[in-house]
Amino acid sequence: MPKRRKYSDLANREQRLSYKLLAPALIVLTLVALYPLFQVFYTSFTDRRFAAGDQEVNFVGLGNYSALLGFTIIELPPLVDEETGEKITDPETGKTEYERAIRVLPRQPHRYKELFQFNWFGKRYVVGARDPIFLTAIWNTLLFTLFSVFLETILGLGVALVVNSKFRGRGAMRATMLVPWAVITVVSARIWEWMFASSRAGFFNMIFNRLGISDGQTSFLTTASLQLPALIMVDVWKTTPFMALLILAGLQTIPNELYEAGQVDGAGRIRQFLSITLPLLKPAIAVALIFRTLDALRVFDVFHVIMGNRMYSMASYNYYQLIGNRNMGLASAIGVIIFIFIAVFAVIYIRMMGVDKE
Amino acid sequence: MRKAKRVERVLGKTLFMVVIVVIFVYMLFPFYWAVNSSLKTEAQLRMTPATFVPRDNEGNFAPSLVNYIAVFRDGQFVRGILNSTVVATATTILALSIGAFAAFALGKLRFRGKKPTLYMILAMTMFPQVTVLSGLYAVITTLGISARPSMILSYMIFTLPFTTWVLTAFFKELPTEIMQSARVDGATPFQTFYMILLPLTAPALVTTGLLAFIAAWNEYLFALTFTTIDPAARTIPVAISLFGGLAAMHEPFGEIMAAAVVVTVPVVLLVLIFQRKIVQGLTAGAVKG
Repeated sequence: MPKRRKYSDLANREQRLSYKLLAPALIVLTLVALYPLFQVFYTSFTDRRFAAGDQEVNFVGLGNYSALLGFTIIELPPLVDEETGEKITDPETGKTEYERAIRVLPRQPHRYKELFQFNWFGKRYVVGARDPIFLTAIWNTLLFTLFSVFLETILGLGVALVVNSKFRGRGAMRATMLVPWAVITVVSARIWEWMFASSRAGFFNMIFNRLGISDGQTSFLTTASLQLPALIMVDVWKTTPFMALLILAGLQTIPNELYEAGQVDGAGRIRQFLSITLPLLKPAIAVALIFRTLDALRVFDVFHVIMGNRMYSMASYNYYQLIGNRNMGLASAIGVIIFIFIAVFAVIYIRMMGVDKE
Repeated sequence: MRKAKRVERVLGKTLFMVVIVVIFVYMLFPFYWAVNSSLKTEAQLRMTPATFVPRDNEGNFAPSLVNYIAVFRDGQFVRGILNSTVVATATTILALSIGAFAAFALGKLRFRGKKPTLYMILAMTMFPQVTVLSGLYAVITTLGISARPSMILSYMIFTLPFTTWVLTAFFKELPTEIMQSARVDGATPFQTFYMILLPLTAPALVTTGLLAFIAAWNEYLFALTFTTIDPAARTIPVAISLFGGLAAMHEPFGEIMAAAVVVTVPVVLLVLIFQRKIVQGLTAGAVKG
């Protein structure tokens, strides 16, 4: 068996070399990712404040989480005229008037602030939250993710299809596609911020005014209903090329013979697209989609640069709690919540890509 | 009948051309607007309605370089470029060298625990940086590392898993026969790696290095957080986001746009030169798996 031993000697040597080669990467990743991650999980259960000197740190259990996510739903009683005992209605609209939310929402032991109101079977309810800003930030982030990823996928698919067909200037087109991708996110945010300027000095107001759509005084970035669409536009511009490139790579793996066969069988362009291109493109689109979703869920740059403290994403609220408010415990809890959001998507992603399928 | 078909074809072609032009304009216009605005004086910027090229009161073409001069006189901006260059370059070199070692082991050697390590690296490529922000900040303040090295170190979170992952895929593709023949010739595995495999992966190193560099050049969250106490270490994204001060009512958009153009042009040139490689690298991370 001497040969066998020699083989295992070699295998052992290879194994030891492998560990040596991996060591630096693992040490660095432990230092910058794994250890801080544990630290964040631990800190999220404490009331630790940032740079608070030797102030005592207490264990608060799930306190930070309930401070962030705690909400309550309470029925709003209609206002009743004390003399007549009848419900008070708005003299102009004839609608029933209700008690003000602030008088119904609990104040002890924790104060709940109004998030929104809704009607349900003729009764009016108010949703109160301990931290309405954070719940709004989650909502903003989810809306932002949904719409920007959807638009990027559609536009990216369109651009990829165009660039994949033969035409003069295709090379220039492919190069052009990389320009938005190469622009620093912060820089693109500032460029769009300027294009969104609230007078006709800004591009959009100028163009909308020329086209007779508006008076040219729209403040896109301070009007509540226009803020999120504006941010989505910035993100879509910046990341559509990335989507298009990933989808294009998928397109190029589809063999031409399939289309020729389709043509022989008399399938039209649309039919070819639906029964050849789209099914074969599914994996590439799925991967691109999840990549972008994970990225969009942790969006920070665009929100922070354009909106500052006017509107938060989950990540920018995390930054605000850490640096602005110096509340490390709370910021850590936000970090953990973002982590959970992303981990769910990441697990789906790894399942789909599969390391084993080598 | 035939005529109708020809009309249809011409129509289709025209429509296709229109689509191409629309895509071109969409992709380039914001940057064009930045260039246009950067060449306007303060007065021209406030002119309403905004013009597509810098114009004076008579409507003549009148570009001005005041913003560019102001930007280069501004110490913050020049220092930002220097900081960004140092931080991004150091990050790239570190991520490439550490990543190449790990990738060689993962792609070409046999050892126990390979699959879990691969899973961990892949999971790391999706790691949300924000999550560890507060933890990392605590680590850095406890260790007392200054702003620039702490940026370089923290950028490993997103560059190292990426370089390792892409390079692993590359090493895997290299024929095993090369290693075997090297072994027959008496080379140790490390010599094989250093003298034979590494030169073969040079193209992959350029690609991944470039992508790592751009990622580090772009990074904002960590840079903003770690330079709060040391403004002299601010990188370009931070400098541009804070341009003109946070409280200023009238932000100097002319200068901001000039700064935007100055920092974008080199990266765009770099990207255009290495276009094909970048596209390969971007898709290698995702599609190949």
